Amino acid sequence: MTEIPDRNDASADGGPDLNGSDPVLTMSGITKSFGDFLALDNVDFDLKKGEVHALLGENGAGKSSLMNVVAGLYAADHGTIHVSGQPVSIKGPSDAQDLRIGMVHQHYKLVMPFSAVENILLSHPGGSYEQSLNQMREDIAQKAELIGFDVDTDKPVASLSIAEQQRVEILKVLVAGANFIILDEPTAVLTDEEGQRLLNAIRKLADNGNSVVLVTHNLSEALNHSDRITVMRGGRVVDTVLPKDVTPPELTRMIVGETISETPELSKVAGVPQLKVRELQASRTDGLAVIKNVNFDVRRGEIYGIAGVGGNGQGELVEVLTGLLPVTSGNLYLHEKGDITHSRADERRSFGIACIPSDRQTYALAGGLSVSDNFAISGVLNGSYGSWSRIDRRKMQSATDAAVKKFDVQGVRSRTQRAALLSGGNAQKLVIAREFSGQPGVVIAHSPNRGLDVRASAAVHNHLKSARDRGAAVILLSEDLDEIMLLSDRIGVMNSGAIVAEFDAPADRHAIGKAMVGHD
Amino acid sequence: MTDIAAPTRWKRLNLEIRDHMPFWQQSIAVAAAFAVGLIISVVILMISGVGLADLWNEFVVFIFTSPKNISAVLVQAAPLIIVGLSAGIAFKARFWNIGIEGQVIFGAIGATLVATYDIGPEFLRLPLMAIFAAACGMLWMALPVFLKLRLQVNEIISTLLMNYIAFNFLLHLLYGPWQDPVSAFPHSEQFESFERLAPLGWQSLNYSLVIAIALVAFCAWLLLSSRYGFLLNFVHSNAKMARAVGIRVALVTLFAALASGALSGIAGFAISAGIESRMTQSFFIGFGFSGILIAFLARNNPLAIVLVALFVSTLMIAGQSLQVFYQIPFAMVQLIQAIIVICVAASEFFIRHRIRWVE
Amino acid sequence: MDFLINWLANIPGFAVPFALGAMGLIICEKSGVLNLGAEGYLLIGAMAGAGSVLSFGGYPMLALGIAALASAALALVFAVLVIFLRVNQVISGLTIVFLAQGLTSLIAGKQGWTNKAFTGLADLDFGPLSDIPLIGPVLFRQDPMVYLTILAFFAVSYVMNRTHTGLRLRAVGENPEASDAAGINVMMMRLAAVLVGALFLGLAGGYLTVVVSKIWVDGMAGGRGWIAIALVIFARWRLWRALAGAVLFGCIEALIPRVAAIGIQVPQYFVLMLPYVVTLGVMVWTSLRKDTLANDPSALGRPFVREERR
Repeated sequence: MTEIPDRNDASADGGPDLNGSDPVLTMSGITKSFGDFLALDNVDFDLKKGEVHALLGENGAGKSSLMNVVAGLYAADHGTIHVSGQPVSIKGPSDAQDLRIGMVHQHYKLVMPFSAVENILLSHPGGSYEQSLNQMREDIAQKAELIGFDVDTDKPVASLSIAEQQRVEILKVLVAGANFIILDEPTAVLTDEEGQRLLNAIRKLADNGNSVVLVTHNLSEALNHSDRITVMRGGRVVDTVLPKDVTPPELTRMIVGETISETPELSKVAGVPQLKVRELQASRTDGLAVIKNVNFDVRRGEIYGIAGVGGNGQGELVEVLTGLLPVTSGNLYLHEKGDITHSRADERRSFGIACIPSDRQTYALAGGLSVSDNFAISGVLNGSYGSWSRIDRRKMQSATDAAVKKFDVQGVRSRTQRAALLSGGNAQKLVIAREFSGQPGVVIAHSPNRGLDVRASAAVHNHLKSARDRGAAVILLSEDLDEIMLLSDRIGVMNSGAIVAEFDAPADRHAIGKAMVGHD
Repeated sequence: MTDIAAPTRWKRLNLEIRDHMPFWQQSIAVAAAFAVGLIISVVILMISGVGLADLWNEFVVFIFTSPKNISAVLVQAAPLIIVGLSAGIAFKARFWNIGIEGQVIFGAIGATLVATYDIGPEFLRLPLMAIFAAACGMLWMALPVFLKLRLQVNEIISTLLMNYIAFNFLLHLLYGPWQDPVSAFPHSEQFESFERLAPLGWQSLNYSLVIAIALVAFCAWLLLSSRYGFLLNFVHSNAKMARAVGIRVALVTLFAALASGALSGIAGFAISAGIESRMTQSFFIGFGFSGILIAFLARNNPLAIVLVALFVSTLMIAGQSLQVFYQIPFAMVQLIQAIIVICVAASEFFIRHRIRWVE
Repeated sequence: MDFLINWLANIPGFAVPFALGAMGLIICEKSGVLNLGAEGYLLIGAMAGAGSVLSFGGYPMLALGIAALASAALALVFAVLVIFLRVNQVISGLTIVFLAQGLTSLIAGKQGWTNKAFTGLADLDFGPLSDIPLIGPVLFRQDPMVYLTILAFFAVSYVMNRTHTGLRLRAVGENPEASDAAGINVMMMRLAAVLVGALFLGLAGGYLTVVVSKIWVDGMAGGRGWIAIALVIFARWRLWRALAGAVLFGCIEALIPRVAAIGIQVPQYFVLMLPYVVTLGVMVWTSLRKDTLANDPSALGRPFVREERR
């Protein structure tokens, strides 16, 4: 930062002064609910000048919600915010901007057909258009140089890479003059090398007198790259600590709370290959080739884990396996059914391929329909509940009742209740109840513990293990390496659209990690 | 630092998605909105010079005490019910069929084709006309639905464009090959008695009402208790999910769209063979949008469509006498429909959202 | 030769309502609001224009202004429905058409404006320029609105592509969430776009009565609003292409009565069909070459909700 505005707090020299200085931004007693769901429960958080403050927690712990409140996107139900000791009211993003608070969201807020300059200009109206366009180019170049970024300012951002788009987002915040900079899970979508570059840039920002909030679920990132760590769980702050004062196991306990120790149990009987994937290639609907060469076998009675950084083709692989995305080349063979490469999605389901997608509210549940309808749909399709001319509602409902009980789906007040009202864990259990109802021979589970608390995720894992134990071939794709290590009998690593390495459990974590981030 | 002298606590109007509202509350909200719409309409009519007592007479007394008027309402309701069903089934598949008028036109063209060229024996003439009407309505839908499913061409625009193509084709026929040779007016020749929907024997009622009721029963079965209707609910609620669980969404959509086209075609047949006894150049006017608004007000439910269609048809019959006796233009009927749709749509907002002050 | 001059000289009069209407729609739809109510705005503008000429005994330019304002007033209802109450934009658009059809014939009937001829806006006379053979009547014997329309295209095109306001308006139609984060009041921006768009649509409607027909007849927009909608699709939301399309549609409309008048037998209804068939063709063509879709406002038809979680 070249210009640091005058402040009335102690440390005007710009250097980090972490123990002594007063916080420059304080949030206290922040509470926020969405309907019945309490996202933030009386949260306190503060930020000092020149520090990198990690906000650590699992998915759904309330980190993003808290930051959205300070960025003006959410209105808190209760609570106060002080900036430099003054109470402030943040009614919208522009108030946040006036207070020099800037946030880089997990999903970039970029207008894709616009160039970087145009995107950044959007937040800075006024003055002659041409002049401000040129002024903006200069400002961007200046800020970029300061933290070692380079970005093409005049290409449509749609044609930039994810890392470049992120740089545009960060520059946007800097050009707006922010010195409170919030980065929401910035490294999640980056390669290792890009992530390292980013973390270095973040440090430079702090050294220049800015305050940075690094929202993350990654332990080592928080430990190695922050000055203070605040841990959140279930909408509450667990504690704020200094990295030197905690050990990773302690931090883990703070993040997950009660430790439900799941112990790996390996498969007892791995049988014949149930599904064979050979030289698979596929392109997204926009034409980009995302699956470049995937080969693997999954045997009956084993869990085949596919590890990898998100966005390396896992989502598309799931779509190809379930028949939603056509292959460009390669083959899929199902035991006893032969080549199913060109079978439709409904045919594959009838062959006993079940799927638990990562985005269950979009791909596994119709939120506006009842719990009972959502459970019964697969049975309706295979003719279990009445004929084409008449749906047997009574049979459907008693089956739903039985499944809700068996899979411990809680929060079902009535069978006609809309599925959207179920919490994440219970929605996932409902999906599993449906997908397992046909005794599938192949189960594809994509990040099945996403957004779930420890207890629910243990329940989900047990269901996967029991499916394996009764002889199903289970494919588990997850970005959470712990989940993969815990459950898998064999592990494939997916990187840039290919399975680049395979390991037998118990596998070496470092070797897997290396394969995940390695380049070609 | 920006100097902001702000209060410690702040208040703002916050909008939230309401997860659930009990059915009875929803019903009250919609009924209240309907009432508000009616009151606004009454006020407008009174400003236009129709007294409150006259309105009561025209809309309630004269309609419901005169068998002739009751039957007129029912006759008018038949095609409205059918176009309402047509719109409803398409909307269920999230297919925006704005082209109902075009399909109505083509339905009538199909029926008139059979009548004009005396296709088939006399006793089969009416069924043939109905079948041709349904087929032509479906045919007119085939292109937009193909373009939508294959090329993702927006169906709102394509079906809309097809209306104008159909209308110009109709004019071509009526000013050209199908012009009435007897009167030389631009309408088709009058249908023979066996080409008209037979009277039921009470007032002016005819078989078009029977056809409409049969179609309501069919749609009620299809949407509410068949397997297809179950699948259609999923396509309506979340098409991505429907595809992922193995529903053939394109096929379901195709069927809904073609059924919608066929229903509109049959409506064209019901109007030409049941009301006008020939094809004219304006028989279809207003049916398309009325059908869409009826389906919207009835939330695509076949049984509710009957009620709303009866209401709209009552408006139309009363509107005719307002036109004659009070010089109120017939377009008043559309105005009232629009006002009620606006009120009901506004009530939906309060059903779906909750507004509260937060501190 | 006379035929040609006559035809060419008449095109602008036919093309102006299409051009103004399409421009209004583009302004509105670039902000992400799908507007199927064009026919309604044309009607209300046409009626308001005729009504004010009849009431004030002239002042056609004032009447055009009133036409624009009347249309904007109607658009306020639409804006409240789609922007604030988030009612489906298709339903709302059609409702506006119904509302306008009812209102215009009710008001015009009650005020006695229906079927009453008046003196509207006269053509400009540029003296000797207007008498140049061929180009005189075509270029220099038009009404003022023709020239103003061309100016308006330059102005709107400048605002859309060369100002902060235009940038923000397009951003709102492309990505309302990002625009919100950039501190743009998405709802207000859309409200402004709907109202300004309606001003131009109302002007187009006023032109129909005040300049072209010089009489109000119920339902006299005669489907031109729908053509304007088709035109916007045809032009893929590009202003200059919309103007070209308007001229093309104007050519066809101006040609048909002239061809019929000199006794040439043409299948006139098939010719009248042509614009719609061509538009449909353009839609198919653009969907086959996906790259040209880039100018579509991506958020078209999608209401903006800031706090819709889960």
